[in-house]
Amino acid sequence: MPNPLKCSVCDAVATVHLTQIVQGKVTKVDFCEACAAKGGAGDAAVFKLAEAVNAAAPAPAITCPTCGFTDVEFRRRGRLGCPSCWEVFGVALNGLLAKVQHETQHVGRAPAGTVPVGQLRHRLLAAQQEMTAAIAAEDYEAAAKLRDEVARIAAQLDAL
Amino acid sequence: MSVQEILADENELTHLLGAQQAVVLSTRIRLARNLEGFPFPGWAKPAHRKEVAERCIDALTKLPRFRKSHVFKMGDLPDLERAVLVERHLVSKELASGKSGAAVISRDQTCSVMVNEEDHLRVQVVKAGWHLRGTWNIAEQLDDALGASLGLAFSDGLGFLTACPTNVGTGLRASAMVHLPGLCLAGHMEKVTRALSQDGLAVRGWLGEGTEAAGNVFQISNQQTLGLSEDAILRHLGGWVKTLVDQEWNARRKLAQEEGERFVDRLARSLGVLRSARLLTSAESMNMLSHLRLACDMGCLPEERRHVVDRLMIEGQPAHVQARQGAELDSDGRDSRRAAAIREALRDFPEVGPPTA
Repeated sequence: MPNPLKCSVCDAVATVHLTQIVQGKVTKVDFCEACAAKGGAGDAAVFKLAEAVNAAAPAPAITCPTCGFTDVEFRRRGRLGCPSCWEVFGVALNGLLAKVQHETQHVGRAPAGTVPVGQLRHRLLAAQQEMTAAIAAEDYEAAAKLRDEVARIAAQLDAL
Repeated sequence: MSVQEILADENELTHLLGAQQAVVLSTRIRLARNLEGFPFPGWAKPAHRKEVAERCIDALTKLPRFRKSHVFKMGDLPDLERAVLVERHLVSKELASGKSGAAVISRDQTCSVMVNEEDHLRVQVVKAGWHLRGTWNIAEQLDDALGASLGLAFSDGLGFLTACPTNVGTGLRASAMVHLPGLCLAGHMEKVTRALSQDGLAVRGWLGEGTEAAGNVFQISNQQTLGLSEDAILRHLGGWVKTLVDQEWNARRKLAQEEGERFVDRLARSLGVLRSARLLTSAESMNMLSHLRLACDMGCLPEERRHVVDRLMIEGQPAHVQARQGAELDSDGRDSRRAAAIREALRDFPEVGPPTA
């Protein structure tokens, strides 16, 4: 037999070949009989082993210093390790957020007792736009009120 | 403290006369929250999960709304009791399938908080009928109270930090459970589902993600949690629910008008079967109860009977049937007990008449 496939775990000749298709993504792994038995050949456990083998290949590029979570782990689970991970993985996650959330900036509530910075920023932008529109419509009374609101919010944000 | 009390206590989803409405069965708000300085449950060591659970349960049980609340640790509950909580939407399948999570459920079953599910805290408020603002107000109060007693993970740029990027920001999932037999019978559901999902809303079955829409009941919820204010999320959902309710009524009236006696016959047959069958599967009873709910909405049955139908939809689910019996039953046993309970509840129902609504 020319060039027999090698076991993904131990390099012995592979006799168990698995193909998994998840959402159109094809994953192929090969095991020798001994390694396949360890994973419980024929059931889901083998795919878990296969996943581990495949995922172990790339070395983590980012590791969270707080909880030890890595980018490799994130690709596997789709979940983060701890709140600090959001800062650690921040830039790397922006593309994903733009895709699943269409936005990357919070504009909602903040915990009790804290200043809702996101909400303020959001209102600031909205008030600026409304002011421009009011000026264009020559509604100077409304524009003046909005100018005061913009100044007030800007001062609130500056004070932080 | 037992799941039997949850079954026995009257609450607004199953008993309260007058709380039920046509089309919208219930309104639900869910907030995902986490404690600062602790790994998320899926990555945390058991000791961390334990500490988080203690802090959260302690903070929750001190709140007036959770006075005399039920505290359930999933590891302590038999399979059947956990399944009852899932069928009532008081906990998720994910929480029930693990051993390390807990749930704190208010006495009136309006508020339930899952601890150590995907996030440290999943706060849920549910009201019978369509009450988006009222439901949100309770959730907001709970959030403020928890924020004051627990340090919540939050960043100015990304909002409330969650384990999964699909929940970050507001952590808010607002949803309506809607009963759409008219749109289903008219064959419009596929179109409706497509329109909703194109506009950022998810459509799911009775028991949430990946379940079928038994009894023509669907759950409609927002997908996006970041970059929109809570108010904008609620307005978006509210606008669509109003449209859906209008379209559902149009479909119902059109069907009733076009089908005439055939329309009434369909509803009357369901009452007949439910009132005399000796064996009823879960799916069969859900679909027939859906006809009875439609009959109550349309004035073919008295409106004040609607809450009985809603209660049977909840209590006819497999774990509920078994928990009432106090024993695990095989499928024939369940179908027999379910049929008996439904026969008993519908015994004094009047006959189905022509629509008046």
